[in-house]
Order: sequence, then C-alpha cells, then structure tokens
Amino acid sequence: MDYGSEVVRRFETGQGAGRLAMDAPGVVYGEAEDRALNVWVRFYVQVLDGRVAAVRFRVFGCPHTVAAASWAAEWIEGRDVQSLTELDVQAGVRALAMPVEKVGKLLRIEDAVIACWRKLTGQDRAGNGS
Amino acid sequence: MMANKQLYLDNAATTAVDPAVIEAMLECLGPEATYANPSSSHAAGVEARRKVERARNQVAARIGAQPDEIVFTSGATESNNLALQGAVKARAAVPSHILTTRIEHKSVLDTVAALARRGVDVGYLECDSQGRVSLDDLAASLTERTAVVSVMHANNEIGVVQDVAAIARLCRERGVLLHMDAAQSAGKLPIDVEGWQVDLCSLTAHKLHGPKGVGALYVRRGVTIAPTLYGGAQERGLRPGTLAVHQIAGMGQAYELADPAHDGPRLAGLRDRLWAGLSGVAGARRNGSTTHCAPHILSVSLPGVDGESLRFALRDIAVSAGSACASDVPEPSHVLSGIGLSDTLAQGTLRFSVGRFTSADDIDTAVERVRAEVERLRALAVSAPAWCSS
Repeated sequence: MDYGSEVVRRFETGQGAGRLAMDAPGVVYGEAEDRALNVWVRFYVQVLDGRVAAVRFRVFGCPHTVAAASWAAEWIEGRDVQSLTELDVQAGVRALAMPVEKVGKLLRIEDAVIACWRKLTGQDRAGNGS
Repeated sequence: MMANKQLYLDNAATTAVDPAVIEAMLECLGPEATYANPSSSHAAGVEARRKVERARNQVAARIGAQPDEIVFTSGATESNNLALQGAVKARAAVPSHILTTRIEHKSVLDTVAALARRGVDVGYLECDSQGRVSLDDLAASLTERTAVVSVMHANNEIGVVQDVAAIARLCRERGVLLHMDAAQSAGKLPIDVEGWQVDLCSLTAHKLHGPKGVGALYVRRGVTIAPTLYGGAQERGLRPGTLAVHQIAGMGQAYELADPAHDGPRLAGLRDRLWAGLSGVAGARRNGSTTHCAPHILSVSLPGVDGESLRFALRDIAVSAGSACASDVPEPSHVLSGIGLSDTLAQGTLRFSVGRFTSADDIDTAVERVRAEVERLRALAVSAPAWCSS
C-alpha cells in the first residue's frame, strides 16, 4: 500500500490526537466503529458560544484512518457547531489522496463527529459522557 | 540501495546470496566459464555435467539422500506441484485421496485445490493451537485410496516443526507416500529423508543464501511419480528442459555451506534474543510451538495495534505481515486463522526471520523500534474497545 505525503505526515505526527478533559465546559465525545473495517474512532469536541473551540481524537486503524481522523479534527476546529454534521468527506478524500477502498473508513470518522453533534443537541439520550 | 538501509529480518521470505555461492555461479557464466549445455557430449558439456552432478551430491548430502534421488526444478513451488500432481497422476487408475493441513504453503494448498477440482478427494488434518499435526487424526484419516500425505517440515509463518519421522512411520505402515515440504527447514534443521522414510521432499535454494529460481525434489528410489511437463529426458524425464547450470551450481554451494549443526543454534540464539526483547511488550504473544520451532522464525502478535499501521510504522525493518492488505478489508493469514487467532490479532502479527547475516545489534535495534512504535500506536488508541486487542 502506498501512502501520500499528507497521510505519512499526519500518521507520524499524530497531529490532533489526544483527549479533552470531560469536566471542562462544553466537552462531549462521540464514537464510531466498524469491526469489519478494523476501525474505531472517538472524537472529543469542546463547543463554546456555538463554535468548536477544541477537538481531539483517539483512533485505532490503518494509516489512512489515523490521517483522516487528524484531518477531520483540523477541519472541524474553529467552525460553528452545525459543521459537525457537514464534514466535507470529499475534501478529506482529496487532501489525503485516499484510495476509493479506504473511503469507508473516513465515513466512520464522519459518524463519530456526528455522534458528538447528537450529544450536544440532546439527540443522543445516552448522555454526553461528562 | 533501499535494501541496505533496511534492517532485514525477513529471511524466511528470501535471503541474500552468499558470496561463495555467487562465486560458484560465476564459474558457470561468461565466455571463459562452464556455460555449456550439460546434456551435450562434448568436453564443455561434460564439464558442465560435472558441475550439475557435484551440486546434486551437495544437495543430497544435506538431506541424507542419494544423488540419483535429486531432481532439479525451478524452486519449491514447482517441486510441490510435481510431487503432488505427479503422485496422483501416477496412480490415475485409482480415484485418489490426498491428506494435508490447512497451514501448508499456498503452493501446496492451491495444488490440492486444483486436484480437488479434477475429482481428487482432499482431507485436511487437524493441527493443535501450536500448529502441530495430530497423529491420531492422521491415523484415522488414512484410507486405502490415500495416494499421498503432504506436510511441511517447518511452517513458513509460525515456524512450527512437525514430527516428520512419526508421520512417516504411520504413512509407511499404511503404504501411503509422504511428501515433505522442506523449503524452510533445509540447511537450518537436520533432515534425514532416508532415516525418516520420507518419499518426496521439496527443496529450494533461495531460503538458505542460494539463488532464486532453482530448487529440487527428492524422489525416493522406487517411488513412481509422473511428470507434469514434457519435452526432454533431463532429470529422469521428470523435469524436462535445459538445466540451468549456474543456478544448480549455486544451489549446491548453498547446501554445502549451510550447516544445521552450526547455523541452527546461532539462528536460534538470535531468535530467542528477539523474543526476550519483544516479550517485554505488554500483551505480546508468540505464535506456534516454543519447543518444536524452526530456529530462524519468530511470529509475534501484538494486540492493541492495527497491523497495517504497525507495518507502516516499522517500514524501515523488513518483516512479514500476518495478513495481505490489498484492500479495505485485510485478509488474515490462513496459517494464523488455522491456529485459532482472531482476524484482528492475525492482522497485528509480525513474522521476524533471521539469517546468516543478521547480527545481535540488528536484533536489539528491532526490539527498540517495535517497542517504541507499539507504544505510540497504542497511545493513539487509548479507550479502544476490547475487540481491538483480542
């Protein structure tokens, strides 16, 4: 498998990886997984005054998955909360030169980000994890 | 030269050609060398024939065979094909039955699958969690129609070594041929085809510092197999075509150089040093038998890390994977699945294999690199669900 330079950079630096303190204001996390694809991802987001103030992630998966999580974290940070439902997957595919057979993994990352939005908007009654 | 920059721990895949082997091969190449066709009757041909026969002696001596029992081929894949197809073909009058295991090399599994499509019954012997063949299952599975049993001496992925002598005894009692794939074990473990009463034995050169593209099939005297290729009387008619003298001379030299009594303990020492280091990585699991193991192979599963990520992170070290990752869904190794590993664990498995040119420093470097990358990747996946680690 060949990896583009952006995938290599994000995989090696793990840019954006980590967690946010759950007792900080406006912090929730959302998860998604697909065992068949060997992917698990958790996003932590902090929303203050309607904007995504901070994003971190945890991830298990291939280099494309790690890079995609890193890219998504960067894409989300600083945008308004509604952007959590509008992750530009195609932009991610282009930025990471992601092969078509790996796009399913980026969709799981999108699912995790949307899970954050659901918790923030109360559409997920399972709680916000705080 | 990428290969020189990499730490090479993939000697079960192939090895560097030994300089003494290169020298032996060069003696058969070039206008001043012994390049003639060994089937020719002129002096140059006779000289080439001498090279071939010397190599035949060298190979035979390494496995306890007689020289006239060695048939040169293009490698172990061809040898496995010739042994199995040839054994069935020679018994064409009787509907055949073959026994093998699910952890054989693809060149055996695909060959028996092809034979199955032609009506041959194929049975798969049970292996335990370490990959050892069940002798009870073998005894119960042999039938009057069984033409051949095919078992590899040392497994190429997990290194488990079968009790070939015991398997051969059972086969002989029932009048069934035993084929042994010794591609991984030749030159690293003692082999005694005569003493063990093995009937067919596949060999290769490139796994023990010989050239690629040459191998041999041992065919015990009195055992009849049919050729699969036609077009000449070379190699007793079993393998027609002009003999590749330089390849064969290289193989002979490689088999003479390889000394299980010396190389085996040295390789095992390096393997054990590697495991001593990697066993310190939390959760690391060694696959296969620790007591019946080829000296050069170590298969280690590292739970909690994605296999593709681990291999990419360790791309400066040449090791093999526990899966083939050509798509979004990696296909786990049939050997690791065969001994009961989950798909996730199989994908997080690395096969290290040491060779003549591996040093203790190489091992220590590899241990440090693996430790560091496993820690880094596990840190990315803190809080991941249990399936990522099991």
